[in-house]
Formats: sequence, structure tokens, C-alpha cells
Amino acid sequence: MIKIQGLHKSFGELEVLNGIDYEVKEKEIICVIGPSGSGKSTFLRCINMLEDVTSGDVFIDGVKVNDAKTDINAIRKEVGMVFQQFNLFPHMRVLENITIAPIKIKNMNPKEAQTLAHQLLKKVGLGDKANSYPEQLSGGQMQRVAIARALAMQPKIMLFDEPTSALDPEMVNEVLDVMKQLANEGMTMVVVTHEMGFAKEMGDRVLFMDQGLLVEEGTPEQIFNSPQHERTQAFLSKVL
Amino acid sequence: MDFPDIRWDIIWNYKELFIRGIWITLALTIVGYLGGIVLGLFLGMGKLSKKKWIYYPSKYYVDFFRGTPLLVQILLIHLAIIPAIFGHSLGYFVSGCVALILNSAAYNAEIIRAGIQSIEKGQMEAARSLGMPNNMAMRHIILPQALRRMIPPLGNELIALLKDSSLVTVIAANDLLYAGKVVAGAYSRFWEPYITVAILYLFLTFFFGKIITYVENRFSNSFVPKQKKGMFSIRR
Repeated sequence: MIKIQGLHKSFGELEVLNGIDYEVKEKEIICVIGPSGSGKSTFLRCINMLEDVTSGDVFIDGVKVNDAKTDINAIRKEVGMVFQQFNLFPHMRVLENITIAPIKIKNMNPKEAQTLAHQLLKKVGLGDKANSYPEQLSGGQMQRVAIARALAMQPKIMLFDEPTSALDPEMVNEVLDVMKQLANEGMTMVVVTHEMGFAKEMGDRVLFMDQGLLVEEGTPEQIFNSPQHERTQAFLSKVL
Repeated sequence: MDFPDIRWDIIWNYKELFIRGIWITLALTIVGYLGGIVLGLFLGMGKLSKKKWIYYPSKYYVDFFRGTPLLVQILLIHLAIIPAIFGHSLGYFVSGCVALILNSAAYNAEIIRAGIQSIEKGQMEAARSLGMPNNMAMRHIILPQALRRMIPPLGNELIALLKDSSLVTVIAANDLLYAGKVVAGAYSRFWEPYITVAILYLFLTFFFGKIITYVENRFSNSFVPKQKKGMFSIRR
């Protein structure tokens, strides 16, 4: 579903990704772990072209994403993204945050969009917050709204960029629970995370990245119980 | 120091002239201000453009109008540019409005550019990640937030423009300062007309200042609408 070939990304002199090859299959939950600065987030952001790639290719459903002829906005409709800092639109109520994209981009009828938004809010456990503003919510609530906002475009793939890293510890689980629910419904997900518990429990595949390289890849059992590479072992010994 | 005996009756005799001057000054200020905001919005976004053929004209425009005196711009526009384009003058009011719009647009462009740049990068990224094209994200996500941050500096611009509008007196515009000049010329007395003009400008800036404070409070910090208290309170 997502195919990445020889992906390189550099910011000026700094090489952030040094050639990544990977293929994500439909309905797979991919968890990307690794130390900070390893290029995990950049890797994720290259998938929906929030960063343009220096060389290499990204394909989604067979369509080359990093092609000038590709309508990137059409691709992004199919690929939802959740950010570390939530990035809710502070000038809009929760409901408008969720409905603006379907209404403006998919030309969905506003009534229909609102019905969908209410359903999604119920799903993330915030049925009573439709008329609140983001600043009236807690971090965990904001992130759940952000997930609902991305889901409102009915994407085929969801990208999560450290979705729980900016949260107070007691709010982490409420967000992870929503993500688990989503995974169980068969969403294809790529999750950059520091939550090893989530990766272990929910990941179909776990990717360990370090210094811009995909060092090791495997099932959670393989990565967490018998890591082959010494950098993986060193990292896991620090975080587990 | 030699204080003259003040003769307010002179001012009273010319009250129509002063009242007309107030209206002209207000009209010049408001037209110049609104036009300057619209043009400034395009220039400000132009200065943020990655396309060179948009960026450089916007940049040079702003540099020129901020780097030359408004007085010179008014004379150039009224005596040279408008006659060159239309073959004749279009009158002081058109020239004055054009000069004030063009000038204030340059200052507003910088305010608008800074306002847009002050919005966190994540807002644009979130909008784009949902599939919004750049222009749509700008209109629905970035500008509504940026406009709030622009309110205080744009308010200062309004007061500055009101006072700067007095420069159109040099092209014989019937503005407030011009009324004072006429009276001063007619009687060769300077205290009464110019004190009157000063006080009237002070009233106008005070009045505008009140409006700005109201707008600033209305849109301060929080995006959550303030609950109105009292018998007309709206419950949500």
C-alpha cells in the first residue's frame, strides 16, 4: 500500500535519511521506534510530502507521490495525519475543526459532515465536546479531536507522529485506546512512537531506525525479545 | 512672551470650513486605511511568496513607499503620475486617497507579513495534511488566526494614518489642516486656527483610539467568545 524505495532526505548538509526501503501492506500496523534524531519523524513526513524527498521514491497505492504531475492534495485526502502538537485550529469549535476539511475539500453537505463529526466524536469518547474550543480541552482530549479530524476525511492510511509525546502521563492511555480501536477496525497505520508497550501489543511490524537508516525490522517479538543488531539492543536496553 | 487676545469668533465664523475639513480628513483616512489593508494583504502575502516574480515586486514596492516621505509621494502622484496617466488632474481627493492607500499598504504589508509568519508552522501542516491546497489553508486556517494578532499594530496604523492625512494639505485638499491654514491666511492670526485644528485632531485620534481599544478587547487572546452578561446574555 505504501512503497518506499531508496529514500534520501537531507536538510542542507545534514543527511537525515540515508536510503530507506520499505513496504507497508494494507491493514498493517507499523510502529517506528528509535532514538531522537534518528529520522523517524522525517520518514513519516516524507510519506505525505510534508517534507519533499531529496532522492528516492514514495508510492501510495501505486501512485508515485513525489512526482510533480501527481496531485498531492488528492493523495493527502487518503492519508490522515496526527501530530505531536495536535495542531487543532484554535479559532474553530471542535465540530468545525472536524467538518471543515470534508466540507471544503470533498464538498460534503454540511449537515452530513456534522452527522459524521458527531459519530467520530462519540467514537473517540468526546460526544459532549462538539461546541467547545480547543483551548477548553485537555491535551488528551485535543489529540483525540485531532484523530477524529483526520478520520473525517475517511482516509485509507493514518500516520501518527509521536501522538502521545506531548501529553501528561495520565492522558497517554486515552489516546492509545482510540488508536487501538482504530487498529482493530483494520486501518493501515504508521506510528512513530516512544510507547514501547503500544508497539509490542499492537504492532504487526516494528521498525528500528537510527542515524537515518532502517537498522532492523521485524515482528514485535523479534525486535523486543531477540534484537539482532547491536544498536537495537543498546537502544532497547535504555528504554525498556 | 506676548500672548495675543484670543478671538474665538473667527473660528465660529468659519465653522462650516472646519466641519467640512473633519469630514474630508475622516473620508481620506477611512478610504486610505481600508484600501491600504486590502492592498497590504496582497503585498504582505507577496513578501512571503516563494515565487521570485511575486516576491521581488512586493519587496521593492514596500521598500520604496517606506523609504520615501509621504509628502513627496503625494506631490508625485498628484502633480506627475495621475496627470501622466489621465491627461489631467482628478482632483485632490482622488490623489490624496491614492497616495494614502499606496503608502499605508506598504506599512500594512509588513504588519500582515509578520502576523502570518507568527502562526505556528503546524497549523499550515495540519491543513495541508488534510488535503487543503495552499490558498484554501491560508484563507480558512492561517489568516483568521493571523488577523487577530494584527489588530494592535493595525490599530496604531490607523492613528498614524489619520495624522499623516494632514499632509494632503499641500495639494490644497480641503482637509482639517487646510481649514486652519485658510483661516490663518485670512486673518493673519495663528493661535486660534491652529489650536482649533490641534484640538480637533486630538478628538479624532481619541475617538479612533476608543474604537481600537474596543476591537482589541473584543478579540483579545482567547478564541472563546466572551459570554455577555445581563439580561441579553446568550446561552450556548
